[in-house]
Amino acid sequence: MSNFTIPVGPLHVALEEPMYFRIDVQGETVEHVNITAGHVHRGVEYLITKRNVFQNVVLTERICSLCSNSHPQAYSMAIEQIAGIKVPPRAEYLRAIADEIKRVASHLFNVGILAHLVGFESMFMHVMEVRERMQDIKETIFGNRMDIGANTIGGVRYDIDPASIGYLREQLDALLPDVEEIIKIYNTDASILRRTKGIGVLSYDEAIDCGVIGPVARAAGVNYDVRVKAPYAAYDRLEVPVHTLKDGDVWSRAMIRLMEARTAIDLIRQCLDTLPGGPTVATEERPAIPPGEAIAKCEAPRGELIYYVRMTDSPKPERVKWRVPSFPNWDALGIMLKKAKVSDIAIIVNSIDPCISCTER
Amino acid sequence: MSILPAHIETQLAEAAPAGVQFRTVTDDKGVVTAWCTLSSADNLLSVGLLLKRIGARLSTITVYQPKAVAVPKPKEGEEPAPLPTFPGGTPQDGKTYEIDYHFDIDGDTLTVVAHVAAGGSIDSLTPLYRAADWPERELMELYALVVRDHPNPKRLFIDESIEPAVFERLIPYSTLVNSAASKSIWEKIMAQTGAPS
Repeated sequence: MSNFTIPVGPLHVALEEPMYFRIDVQGETVEHVNITAGHVHRGVEYLITKRNVFQNVVLTERICSLCSNSHPQAYSMAIEQIAGIKVPPRAEYLRAIADEIKRVASHLFNVGILAHLVGFESMFMHVMEVRERMQDIKETIFGNRMDIGANTIGGVRYDIDPASIGYLREQLDALLPDVEEIIKIYNTDASILRRTKGIGVLSYDEAIDCGVIGPVARAAGVNYDVRVKAPYAAYDRLEVPVHTLKDGDVWSRAMIRLMEARTAIDLIRQCLDTLPGGPTVATEERPAIPPGEAIAKCEAPRGELIYYVRMTDSPKPERVKWRVPSFPNWDALGIMLKKAKVSDIAIIVNSIDPCISCTER
Repeated sequence: MSILPAHIETQLAEAAPAGVQFRTVTDDKGVVTAWCTLSSADNLLSVGLLLKRIGARLSTITVYQPKAVAVPKPKEGEEPAPLPTFPGGTPQDGKTYEIDYHFDIDGDTLTVVAHVAAGGSIDSLTPLYRAADWPERELMELYALVVRDHPNPKRLFIDESIEPAVFERLIPYSTLVNSAASKSIWEKIMAQTGAPS
């Protein structure tokens, strides 16, 4: 059997964003993977220290599109800690609603791409059509389909009235049976099971060793979800089940995302049922931000997003560092791809739901 | 309520014989953020080992150069006041590196802080924590800080052709966007390959 080196990327039909994989194969079996990153490195960590605290709410939202709500949220949470700002209860619920709306859209996108990669094109189009309802929700509630501009320091920039609550409930009622149906298909369809069961396995011990997070970790049995372990926004008042599976394969990662999409619908409903009244921001004035440092974490669709912010006496941060969930998850690909078949490479890479814009910043 | 192990401060002090400064902050929801500043960066590995035994996960590593603290000018005939220092005596001269290792302990965050003077180096945590590999490679391309015994110290994001320590120098915007314009890229390609026949 011959040995070959296959280049995958940086521009490749199966990659949403550029990343270069140098894959050594023996016959059709992957022996070693070398990842070369940096193709969309934009220096945002440098740029953020050149803008003031409030401009950075806008900048952080543009680090990534699928988890664009999580970045300004975690950043705002860190600034609020430094300034001792208490976010009003209504804003905490509205933050959770925005978080979960983005989660449904993000998870369905990834699961839809999986159907595309296994050649189940009608399923791909169906999932994307179902996801389109979430895009419509975002456009209706926030005025934009990707960067929803929900967060500000001290609260949120949007509110929902009885009419928009009714609209949201109506859309969720229509969405749930569709999501249930997709879960059933991914649970039983032979063409999906054949290409995803036992493929790209990451064991529990390997998941712990790599420090992976989010659905990638939970699919390997790691019971960790920031919303439960380090609650923020309104999550300490919501029932948040944490879904885990044990097999750590491509199928498990897809199923975790589908179950979390279903749970997200329930969480939005919980928020609507108990949405408190009151203001949506702590103060209408721009608050003074004193020197200090803080860490904030939230559960982005791909897992734990952590922000470190340090302020001095300047309105510009001295340092802002964030670690996106994709960052540690890349390393685990080396394990998942080991001994995989060449035809499964794209499916396995997609299964970590990689975000390259997030990773490279 | 904190899930940090009982007596964590004592355990950290035992692992770092040069000394530690320890503090915690608990938010309204009971989430604890702890900070452990090492007096000597040489104690990093033993602290990392302790946290590994506890079951901590390395979330990420932050590096920066804290600004120098302004020292008032001495009056005539007086000796200049000494520079303030970080715990352990590293000068706050604007060039010292502060390296923050953010560990997750089942939801709570413990940040181990080490200071390294300009031109210095620090041990790699990658042999202990696989998740330290990429962050340490990234910090080595952003700053002129050497990570000792890193198993794979090659560049992570920034190409080898670019000078190192990009966070330690001003990069003019015109240089930054030099390759962003298609005309500029085309001219570069033409200069290297010659015009099409």
